[in-house]
Amino acid sequence: MIAFDFKYIKPTTAKEASKLFLNAKQKGNKAMFYSGGTEIITLARVNQLQTDMVIDIKGIPECNVLEIRGNELVIGSTVSLNDIAKSKLFPLLGDTVQRIADHTSRNKITIGGNLNSELIYKEGILPLLVADAKVKLAKGLEQRIVSLESIFKKQLELETGEFLVQIIVDKSYLDHPHMAKKRTKISKVGYPVVSVAALVKECQIQIAFSGVCQYPFRSFKLESVLNDTKVPVMERIGTAMQHLPEDVVDDIQGTKAYRTFVLRNVLKDILEELELTK
Amino acid sequence: MTNKVFTTVGKPEQRIDAVEKSTGKVRYVGDYSVPGLMHAKLVTSTQAHAKITSIDTTEAWKVPGVRAIVTGEVFPYHIGPILADRPPLAFEKVRYYGEPVAIIVADHEYQAKLATTKVKVEYDPLPIVNSVQQAFQADAPLVHENAGSYTKIISNVYPKTGTNIGSHIKIRKGNFEDEWENCEETITANYSFNLSDHVALETRSTRVEINPRGKVIVHSCSQSPFTIKKVLNQFFNVEVGNVLVHIPMIGGAFGGKGTVQLEPLAYLASKSVGGKLVKLEMDREEDMITSPCRVGLDATVQLGATKEGKLVAGKYTYLLDSGAYTDQAAGITRAAAIDCTGPYDIPNVWCDSYCVYTNHPFATSFRGYGHPELTFAVERTMDQLAKQLQIDPIQLRIINGIKPGHTTPTQTVLTANNIGDIEKCINRAKELIQWDEGQKMVSGKNKVRSKGISMFWKTSTTATNAEAGAILTFEADGSVNLNCAAIELGQGTKTILGQILAEKLGMGMDKIHVTMETNTQYDPHQWRTVASSSTFLAGRAVIAAADHAITQLKKTAATVLKCSPDDLDIGGGKVYLKPDPAFGVDIKEIALGYTYPSGHSIDGQVVGIGKHIQRHLTPMDEETGFGKPGPWWSVGVQAVEVEMDTRDFTYTILKGVTVLDGGTIINPKTAQQQMRGGMYMGLSYATSEKFIFDEHGVVQNTGLRNYPMLRYGEQPAQYLVDFIESPAADGPFGARGIGEYGVIGAPACLANSLSYALDVALNQLPLTPESIWEASRGSEE
Repeated sequence: MIAFDFKYIKPTTAKEASKLFLNAKQKGNKAMFYSGGTEIITLARVNQLQTDMVIDIKGIPECNVLEIRGNELVIGSTVSLNDIAKSKLFPLLGDTVQRIADHTSRNKITIGGNLNSELIYKEGILPLLVADAKVKLAKGLEQRIVSLESIFKKQLELETGEFLVQIIVDKSYLDHPHMAKKRTKISKVGYPVVSVAALVKECQIQIAFSGVCQYPFRSFKLESVLNDTKVPVMERIGTAMQHLPEDVVDDIQGTKAYRTFVLRNVLKDILEELELTK
Repeated sequence: MTNKVFTTVGKPEQRIDAVEKSTGKVRYVGDYSVPGLMHAKLVTSTQAHAKITSIDTTEAWKVPGVRAIVTGEVFPYHIGPILADRPPLAFEKVRYYGEPVAIIVADHEYQAKLATTKVKVEYDPLPIVNSVQQAFQADAPLVHENAGSYTKIISNVYPKTGTNIGSHIKIRKGNFEDEWENCEETITANYSFNLSDHVALETRSTRVEINPRGKVIVHSCSQSPFTIKKVLNQFFNVEVGNVLVHIPMIGGAFGGKGTVQLEPLAYLASKSVGGKLVKLEMDREEDMITSPCRVGLDATVQLGATKEGKLVAGKYTYLLDSGAYTDQAAGITRAAAIDCTGPYDIPNVWCDSYCVYTNHPFATSFRGYGHPELTFAVERTMDQLAKQLQIDPIQLRIINGIKPGHTTPTQTVLTANNIGDIEKCINRAKELIQWDEGQKMVSGKNKVRSKGISMFWKTSTTATNAEAGAILTFEADGSVNLNCAAIELGQGTKTILGQILAEKLGMGMDKIHVTMETNTQYDPHQWRTVASSSTFLAGRAVIAAADHAITQLKKTAATVLKCSPDDLDIGGGKVYLKPDPAFGVDIKEIALGYTYPSGHSIDGQVVGIGKHIQRHLTPMDEETGFGKPGPWWSVGVQAVEVEMDTRDFTYTILKGVTVLDGGTIINPKTAQQQMRGGMYMGLSYATSEKFIFDEHGVVQNTGLRNYPMLRYGEQPAQYLVDFIESPAADGPFGARGIGEYGVIGAPACLANSLSYALDVALNQLPLTPESIWEASRGSEE
């Protein structure tokens, strides 16, 4: 049970949603955009989150799109993880999001919610980073389309009142050779000790990581090390470990030493298997 | 009795609660709401060990709807089932993270919950006792300053002032010290694991009101309705007869609902609002941390044997992490001593079993009552000894398996009736796991398959005067109502009791109506629904009640049929003449008495009353453990086959095997499900579950986001169960208890198989890939 009172509003346009958010803010109230709600509900019921208003964006038609439009795959931010997986439109994304939480939760969890999660994992972003995805953002009447990479700095950096409407992936990425690997503490369901998504584009592996550092990341430096096929695989992996953006996470899901051990194994498998496809 | 072909006993009758449950129509305690119901929520400790310096409720009172705030000084006394060492609400100090500090009572649950966040409690932190090893050190901080002064509620509990020892149970059989010196082969090994939780689907919940007549009416999801009466009487001075306890069906308990925690709190809450009906329902996180959990264990096992593998001497040191209060951990400490050796014949036994206070959430009974824990330690040692002796692990177990004629650690003499046949069990398990095809084989790149096995036993350590009763009332259509206080918590006990009655009366199950709920005002006294004791105790009571009813039926029928009651038999809804079954009277004609055509009537309703009380049980001697603690021992064997990735230490459980000798199996399908469910649970805590504490004793994984459990679909792909049925002469139709048994050997056989796969001793639970990786690294260095 959530102990505090809050307003729930479900607008039907992006403009209205932004306006509600900004108005609340002006009045000194806290508002949150709400999509699947799993994280807001579960954190609020244990008193780890407080808000005066939630703005449910599932009523906005643009946010519910899931289709190929011309040369692009367009994914609305409020599309559920299960719907993305079932559509089979982007197999790497489907493989990755199918390993988030459990089936019942994935009926509710949306891709937009996952990307904006309070947790450090946000695994849904990994395939999008390696597929050089773009995002459509809305704020009032304004909408902008930018590369995901340009606004993802440890988390999505959005302006106040701005929210994620759609994710756009160039169709050419959808059928590249790819691989997603996730290792948890033990169960099939669980937070990642290491989660990796990778694809091969023009003989180069593009790869992104979750569970390794305090935020998901894709590193061009690391990719260039891993793609240097003149160097033996284990040596490349050794060098890659030196180029992680920050210290490896050390927590109850796995110690730093264990995560490093798992990451090495996962990288080895990915390099060996994906290099065969080149 | 055993010569007869049973019609219902031994048949896979459908569970009588199956339809209601599968259609979602069962109402559990938390599902009820009535106008005027008030809600209680708990303020819980944010510290694991600290003095409470102040509690400021000013802001909490400002929350609309708040009617009362109760703090520890309202009831500054200690309660407990074995040793009274726990204040229901902490006063002066807190001893674990999550301990109840105050109760808020409000009109609505959300108001109470909001108000809990506004209570400001100031603490003065004390040094933390964060492990049993630390608790045992001479200069350890004390969780209880004066443990020796607490009131003992039952015998066989020995707290020691000035230490963190809540109890110490000793077994001294034979002469360990001398014999140990003479052993040709010895082994000593240490094992450990942390506390974990029951995580029953239904979180704990209760409603209490004190009506204007002074009757205290409790609705609860408890395994121990009569203990609630006892506690409210013993500690709160309410007359036993004025406490009425109602228990509907329960959504899983696993021992966690055996102890009495919420009911006294809800009683205090109700009292604070003039006796109004107050509901106290735990959120999942509170259910895991604030309510009692499962013990942790640190065990050292020493075994001495001959070169041929005959065990000569065994020494067992069990340090049970009871957390902040002894609760049932004091009983588990005793149970672990009683069965310390596992199902082995060892002439010289020395056991020190300690109930150790720490600043962890307190522990209570959990399915297996210490036996999965001790079995893990014993069975890992047996495998390591087998390796040392170069004997097949199964052979070593057969050589030493306990049999009729042997004595248990407490020197109870075993007979063909009070213990099952362990050798038959292991031979059957050996076939099912295909042991002879090899214990280990390479199954792919970096993959090995390996097998592990575990024997186990357990007695049912009830109170020496544990009893059950049953009342049968006959309906006008000749069907029968069965009322008894065995609690249905998903184990199927009501179905089993129904089958026993149907068998006795020669009726179909459709003519037996078992009352699913329990009400202490009209159900006869039953000790508690714990310790796998209901089939035995309540089953015997049902048989006695059936016999009582049969006597009445025969008497009335004899009058009607103008013959002697001895000429009559009962079955098929009739009382009939033995030599001529076609000649008889329908039970429905006499169920409410018989009425002659003249209108004259005789005898009235058939009401069967039966009861059964444990016979010849005794407490244990303080110095040697000598005594008879339980009526029988069920024995069994479990095995698994795993496939392990030797590179990254991930593994899958391919096959699980359970073979149990539980005497006559009343219902093979529900028994099979019990074994599967038990093994699943045992594998879950062997693979996944434990509470993680930081250096301040604060639990890091208080909810299911971070507390991993085995999930549906992660059970062994092949899940084989079989039974050996050596009848127990004094059990109902030859049955012994089986409820807890499926869980007991699971952690041990998993650890044995994984240890064998890698040739690394895995002696710590849970067995995550990370912990196996750690152990493998350790063994390389």
